[in-house]
Amino acid sequence: MAFAETPGLLSTTEAFSETTLVVDPARLVEACAFLRDEHRFEMLVDIAATDYLGWGSPGVSGYIGTAAGRNLNRPMTQGLQALPAPKPKRFSLNYHLLAIQPGARRVRVQVWLDDGEPVPSVVSVWPGADWFEREAWDMMGIPVEGHPHPERLIMDEDWEGHPLRKDYPLGGEPVRFSGEE
Amino acid sequence: MATIARPDAKDPIYDGTRIPSPIPTVLEVDPAVKDTDDILTVNFGPNHPSTHGVLRLIVDLDGEVVVGVHAKVGYVHTGFEKNMEQKSWWKGITYAPRIDYLAYQNNELVFVLAIEKLLGLEIPPKASWMRMLLSELNRIHSHLVWLGTAALELGAISMFWYTFREREMILDLSELVAGYRMHTRYFQTGGLAEDVPPGFYPECRKFVEWMPKAIADYDGLLEKNEIWENRTRGLGLLSRSDAIALGQTGPVLRASGVDWDLRRDDPYLYYDRVHFHVPVLPHGDTYDRYRVRIEEMRASVEIVEQCLDRLERLEGEPWIADDRKVVLPPREELHTSMESLIHHFKIVTEGYRVPEGEVYVAVESPRGELGCYVVSDGGARPWRVKFRAPSFAALEATATTVQGAYIADLIAIVGSLDTVMGEVDR
Amino acid sequence: MAVERPKSHRLADHGLQSERLLWPGKGPSEFEQELGDIESQLGLTTLEKAIAWSQTKSMWPDTFGLACCAIEMMSIVSSRYDIARFGMEAFRSSPRQADLLIISGRVAQKMAAPIAQIYDQMLEPKWVIAMGACASSGGMFNNYAVLQSVDKIIPVDIYVPGCPPRPEGLMEGIIRLHERVQAGVPAAYEVGGVAK
Repeated sequence: MAFAETPGLLSTTEAFSETTLVVDPARLVEACAFLRDEHRFEMLVDIAATDYLGWGSPGVSGYIGTAAGRNLNRPMTQGLQALPAPKPKRFSLNYHLLAIQPGARRVRVQVWLDDGEPVPSVVSVWPGADWFEREAWDMMGIPVEGHPHPERLIMDEDWEGHPLRKDYPLGGEPVRFSGEE
Repeated sequence: MATIARPDAKDPIYDGTRIPSPIPTVLEVDPAVKDTDDILTVNFGPNHPSTHGVLRLIVDLDGEVVVGVHAKVGYVHTGFEKNMEQKSWWKGITYAPRIDYLAYQNNELVFVLAIEKLLGLEIPPKASWMRMLLSELNRIHSHLVWLGTAALELGAISMFWYTFREREMILDLSELVAGYRMHTRYFQTGGLAEDVPPGFYPECRKFVEWMPKAIADYDGLLEKNEIWENRTRGLGLLSRSDAIALGQTGPVLRASGVDWDLRRDDPYLYYDRVHFHVPVLPHGDTYDRYRVRIEEMRASVEIVEQCLDRLERLEGEPWIADDRKVVLPPREELHTSMESLIHHFKIVTEGYRVPEGEVYVAVESPRGELGCYVVSDGGARPWRVKFRAPSFAALEATATTVQGAYIADLIAIVGSLDTVMGEVDR
Repeated sequence: MAVERPKSHRLADHGLQSERLLWPGKGPSEFEQELGDIESQLGLTTLEKAIAWSQTKSMWPDTFGLACCAIEMMSIVSSRYDIARFGMEAFRSSPRQADLLIISGRVAQKMAAPIAQIYDQMLEPKWVIAMGACASSGGMFNNYAVLQSVDKIIPVDIYVPGCPPRPEGLMEGIIRLHERVQAGVPAAYEVGGVAK
């Protein structure tokens, strides 16, 4: 696809028939406006934040199979343990865009951020980004600069911490079983 | 096909944009008027019969006219996404339907499709046809509950009993297939959890024959009802460009004149092999959203019928993929094959491993585009699961649609956006 | 004052109808036996019995649907499960007019304060049914966001298991509540407080 002129484009990846554009956070708003106007990605479908803290710890993650993939005819194959590729920074913020045109083109704009690094708000490009960005702040602690109403959306206003981060505990209670005292 | 009005083209619903500024999701009262005694601030919810779940709206009223609205959500936040990161892939499928608890089959479907996309699994045709059938039955179910409750809120109380009568028929079909009425957990990675039981197809045919008469009943009660029309026509206007800018999908978008349906335009399962009509209406008001959903119920019945035609010819076909690294082997094999025993053990205890990657899969749920963004690190548990909830975007349109409405209309408009708070808060 | 105590502890012999009558040879269940024991100890007067009877015949629930269980709670109003035969189809929106609070669905931490407020607004006598696994114990959501059982904030009379419970399951819970009230068992707020 001709996304080469996207402002701030750092790299393009194609996987699972999806296109991911990695963009410099400083030029995110320009890139989004470019994609909306030049490539007709009129709709912002989703903003998903991911925390990669602890990514790739051996023993937990990693795909077991042969170098050619999983071979159905060799069920005992315990080939390579392929550890996942390392990620550049801790957080990724993914903007899923959709072109409401025949062909249903989709693209993912991805920015990589450190802990505390802010991202500019795209509310000026798509007003529907409002609540998605608030949720990214609330649940992941990604500060959004220029957001008109940067308050917590889902958790209580006075909640401390950002629940979906990997270093935030799951919480809950230990389950007591009847019969044990 | 879909055409987007360019900014300079005249939008038939209203000109320009009505999205409030600077905060698109909060309608604020003019500051000069705000502190006078004329403005009454009312708290709507979270416990209120007309908010389709626990939605809290802080409404500023000037007399009976709504001049300010601020939606507050989070009252049923369950921490789904964090819980799903701790459970193996197939245990996560149990969590998915409880997110949007009216369209539970679509939630399961989108999560399972995302896992299968990462795995690159081939799904047998019988499973895909059955998944389509159940998803469409679920669409009818969701629209029935919506219609019953939306009419109940506006005072057409008897609609509730009519729609729930058909809802019970759909739940009977669910119970016949999967053993449980709601949150059936019938979709499994690779296909279906079990074969379609005998006797299902005739029962489903009976339902398909009955349903058009039932929809005619609902139309008879509401379509030309003068009170219903007065309470819904011309209210809650949302123009095409505003709907797209706010990320609306589904019936809300189609009632604003945008011809967009993921089943037809970005097909998944076998939607490209069935014929169905996609209702699109131009006025962008509450009445049109109601009509779109009624027509969608009719279209879903057509799809269910076509799925039944195909399924009846697929008796005896496999209902789940054959990949033993992901799918449990049949129990008879466990007695004779060592490899099957090991596979069974590994899949049940550790869970199957899904290759590294990130995918975004979207389906057309009764509320719009339900998307699932999954990141896998190659392990037996998801790294990140995020559900893109259509009601989340629909609630963002509250401030735009209720401008100038009376407080009674606020109920009608928020009801017509068909939000389910479970998926808004996740 | 000596009160004439009938020999049988079967609720049916006191004129109470319950589904267990559909299984004639079964004999009293544990629940009925317990209620029978309580009844013989509590010594309700005829007036108290009459009041208890009338309390159960129109126990109006509050419209308190939170999540998936709310849909099954709505279906008990529908014609197949028909809660109107118990006089309970009048779901009141105002807690001040309601007798029964059916907590149907998972209770988020943010929702705990509104629930406590609504419970306080209800007038006595009032009963609470925790419907579903989430309201009874936190359900499958053992995490930071969900209150692990609503009995941490309000006293609960009946717990109905299920995810979501079938409408018949909820009806069974409601009928057991009726039987408790008619047996003279005090409502939960009188007996104990909340679980901690």
